[in-house]
Amino acid sequence: MPTPEVSADMTSALIRLRKELEDAPLGLDLPEAQEIRAERQSMVNQLDDYILPRLVQADAPLLAVVGGSTGAGKSTLVNSLVGKSVTKSGVLRPTTRSPVLVHHPKDSDWFEKERILPDLKRTTNPTNDVGALQLKAVDSVPTGIAILDAPDVDSVDAGNRALAAQLLAASDLWLFVTSAARYADDVPWTFLKLAAQRNAAVAIVLDRTTDKAIQEVRGHLARMLTARGLKDCPLFAVPESRVDAHGLLPQSSVEQLRNWLVDLAANDEVRTQIIQQTLDGAVRQVVYRAHAVADASAAQHETSERLAAEVGEVYDRAVREISGFVRDGAVLRGEVLVRWREFVGGDLARSLEQKVSRVRDRMMGALRGKPQAAEQVGLALERGLQMVIVERAETSASRAAARWSEDEAGAALVDGANGTLARASRDLRVRADRIVREWQREVLEMVRMEGSDKRVTARFLAYGVTGLGVTLMVVVFAGGASTNGGSHLEEAEDAAEAASIGERILESVFGADTMRRMADSARTDLERRCRELFEAEKSRYLTVLEGASARPDAASRLRDVARAADDVRHGAGVI
Amino acid sequence: MTGQVDDDHVLFGSGGGDLAARIQGLEAALTAARGHLDDDVLGEAEEVVQRARSRLRLSAEHTIVALAGATGSGKSSLFNRLSDLELAAVGVRRPTTSWAMACAWGPTGAEEILQWLGIPPRHQVSRMSMLDISPDETNMQGLVLLDLPDHDSTEVAHHLEVKRLVSYADLLVWVVDPQKYADAAIHDGYLAPLSTHAEVMLVVFNHLDEIPYEERESTLADLKRLLAIDGLSEIPLVATSAKTGEGIDDLKRALVQRIRAKRSAADRLTADAATATQGLVQANGLEDPGVLDERRQSALVDVLAEAAGVPVVVEAVEFSSASRRRRSTSWPAIRWLARLRKDPLADLRLGGATDEDHRSAVPSPTKVQQARVDVAVRDLADDATQGLAAPWSDAVRRASTSDFDDLHDALDKAIASTELGVNKGPGWVRILSVVQWLLFVAAVGGLGWLGTLAIMEFAGNDPAEPPAIGSVSVPLLLALVGVVLGICLGFLARLAVDVSARRTAEHADHALRQSIATVAHQRVFAPIEAEMTAYDATRQALRAALGS
Repeated sequence: MPTPEVSADMTSALIRLRKELEDAPLGLDLPEAQEIRAERQSMVNQLDDYILPRLVQADAPLLAVVGGSTGAGKSTLVNSLVGKSVTKSGVLRPTTRSPVLVHHPKDSDWFEKERILPDLKRTTNPTNDVGALQLKAVDSVPTGIAILDAPDVDSVDAGNRALAAQLLAASDLWLFVTSAARYADDVPWTFLKLAAQRNAAVAIVLDRTTDKAIQEVRGHLARMLTARGLKDCPLFAVPESRVDAHGLLPQSSVEQLRNWLVDLAANDEVRTQIIQQTLDGAVRQVVYRAHAVADASAAQHETSERLAAEVGEVYDRAVREISGFVRDGAVLRGEVLVRWREFVGGDLARSLEQKVSRVRDRMMGALRGKPQAAEQVGLALERGLQMVIVERAETSASRAAARWSEDEAGAALVDGANGTLARASRDLRVRADRIVREWQREVLEMVRMEGSDKRVTARFLAYGVTGLGVTLMVVVFAGGASTNGGSHLEEAEDAAEAASIGERILESVFGADTMRRMADSARTDLERRCRELFEAEKSRYLTVLEGASARPDAASRLRDVARAADDVRHGAGVI
Repeated sequence: MTGQVDDDHVLFGSGGGDLAARIQGLEAALTAARGHLDDDVLGEAEEVVQRARSRLRLSAEHTIVALAGATGSGKSSLFNRLSDLELAAVGVRRPTTSWAMACAWGPTGAEEILQWLGIPPRHQVSRMSMLDISPDETNMQGLVLLDLPDHDSTEVAHHLEVKRLVSYADLLVWVVDPQKYADAAIHDGYLAPLSTHAEVMLVVFNHLDEIPYEERESTLADLKRLLAIDGLSEIPLVATSAKTGEGIDDLKRALVQRIRAKRSAADRLTADAATATQGLVQANGLEDPGVLDERRQSALVDVLAEAAGVPVVVEAVEFSSASRRRRSTSWPAIRWLARLRKDPLADLRLGGATDEDHRSAVPSPTKVQQARVDVAVRDLADDATQGLAAPWSDAVRRASTSDFDDLHDALDKAIASTELGVNKGPGWVRILSVVQWLLFVAAVGGLGWLGTLAIMEFAGNDPAEPPAIGSVSVPLLLALVGVVLGICLGFLARLAVDVSARRTAEHADHALRQSIATVAHQRVFAPIEAEMTAYDATRQALRAALGS
């Protein structure tokens, strides 16, 4: 018998364990996540239904749950044990849909309050509701013991099966009822193996067996029990016999079992021993399985980190590529270059290096005459930039999806998203268009602000805000071109040439320092906008990961509290 | 192949044609869908096809009936009752039957069936028809009866054997009993998944003797309720007691009826094929395939043409052909001037030989152009995959960019090998050239003549008066006409040359776009179309397999 202090320590350790179990992030749809979530739920249920109430009130009556297969005769057996029809029996399966708890009237306080099985609502009327627990106070049940008629573990009704498992997990003693036709069925044995693992107290009742068969079946069943680690459990045989008018078996058939239960009720020591055995087994099992939940939680965390890192890499690369594209002058080729040359005065620009001043004069004339040309440059830039952003976003999305699809967990997430993760977001084109336009507006605004005190100058007026704006854009895009030269010598030359014309124009209006500052600021602004767009694209993947990384220490905390609970258990010797 | 189909017709009567068509459709769908749909889905259908083919090759005179059910439901007792022999072991120890036992009635051909089922000879019995004295309606000639192991005991090997044999039997008799008739193991594990096979299944409620007489009807009603939940509200239900013999004759009659009809095998296979087809349809979809929109196609060709530098080349073609033609049609005396100008086409290394490995110097596509190509291809694939199931739309997307690696190279090659028509000027150019030379010769001749006359005069030799036309002497006329006409013709030719150069450029543009379109076809449209064709083939085959 544990001391009250040990019980209290254990209780608080298990309450902490329960909390950590509930908080462990298992949200990712990894393979087996479904199972581990169900497992976690059953552990939390068992703590609520049985372990915690039993720890707090060790002297509550022993709860014997009569469980087993459909049609094995559980309800008839309970009725016959009590000597009164307390639960519906019959040939229609499954008979017992809502569990019936039979107890002595003096013990009713223990069960009327929601001490154990708090999520089943109490009722005294027969019901078919699987969410209800029907209480029956009957004199013929000895005090100190209560019998619960549970639904079948193997009926077609899934709700029934789940409830049966929950009730067995909440029992001090399993009265496992089987029959000659049933005793080798697979489903009940999975429950019995579970009981063996948990070291729960189990008694087997071999029901509905003809006299002829009883010897052989009993022997075979006993061997099966031994082979599966349940060799010490008592085995009662209830011979098949006709029920009387009340649906009860003759008293002689159930006498042996009834006497055993009455003795158990009367003998405090044995009863406590049984309760402690089952309780200790249940605690041990919960603590043990908590490590599995911790492992799963750690795996979820690790997976989520890895997947997040993978999309991170993909989108970092996209941002780098866009950034490179903005800086290396690549945008200044093709259409943009054509428009720019049209704007600054055609082919003659080639010789500008030498004859800047002369050309500038010509240019000014050209500029004055062609306000359209400036806008054309702006439009060409806009189209090119938007196209490149869209293409990078699409490529990144398919890269990210491909990376995720390489492992099982990621593939499940990609498949689950119904194809949306393999593509850029639906409104990407609109958004790419918007950021480019907003950036251009920002650049024009900058030119307007910088030019506010220079507005009067003839040059400023000559170029106009739009003209200076697109010139600034061209300078921005050629930013790194002159320095990185590299593979495409000719292209770099083109870009550098375009930039140098632009730089000269801007210098002549704003001065060199202001020009450089404006170019830097405009470039940073564009890069920031692109980064934001790609961040938004990336976040679509991170939301799927759903905060699995939110509590990086969840697994270790769960292990810690499980270990602490185990320490208390060992410290108490046997609680 | 066709021979087999005809055999099926003979063997299985009118049902055979339908079945053969379904199986053929399924097989065609499998062939078309391989590599696209999930192997698990295909594997299941594949098994069905193979099973059907081998079953159809075996005796159609026999009906394979399997007694399946839980341990203790009395399958073996029923087997013994039906065969009138104590063949199958009956006992209280569970599970009793570990191996499937078979008993064959009547005509030859059963051996192959039993071999196909994998039942070893030591577990086979046969009942000679001549020894059978049962009345006609219960004479079970042509029956191959199987007693299966259980599906619900702790012996997992039994479950596997049941699973295997259940898929082979023509007619499934599910044996349930008062204790186990509501087990999830049979309802969720077998009956509900086989709800499409109601035609080839029977349910036997055995151990009827264990239920009080007055409760039998309600119990059977309850079983019917559960069967209806499984989707088997129409399935025949026979109540028996192997112990008392009650209902055994009903069961025999029900079996005999099926055996005589000789339809169970075909029905079973048809149901299997239908289920497999449904599975494939679910994975594959039956939506109409999208089309490669003409507009999208030409939009992609335009984008590719631009990326490949077609406009640059066309411009160069116009310039070069104009300058080359001008050179042959301008006044010969000033032709050398044209040579001073650079030939842009030569700069691009085009317009010369059009052999295979020639590479041009057209500028490589800009990033913007590359991006535009990517986006256009994606748009095209999007259009094509509208409404397609995921495996197919993925396949189309993959196909759309599968040949993309050296796309630029291919485009360049296409441009380099396109005949641009620069060298082959129109006929009048050559005629004009000859005319210009003639005029030039005339001018030179005339001038020479005049010169000679002048020298002679200067030397004091009085030359003969040159012939004259009207008042103008012939040499002067020759020189004047040669020079003036030559220069005028040169100017006039210039106008015509400009027009013809523009024409040539247009032709080149057309030819280049044709070449680009060919590349687009090879590299983009054809791979996409191949996938779409495979999808369409699968879809059509599935339609056939559905029997519609």
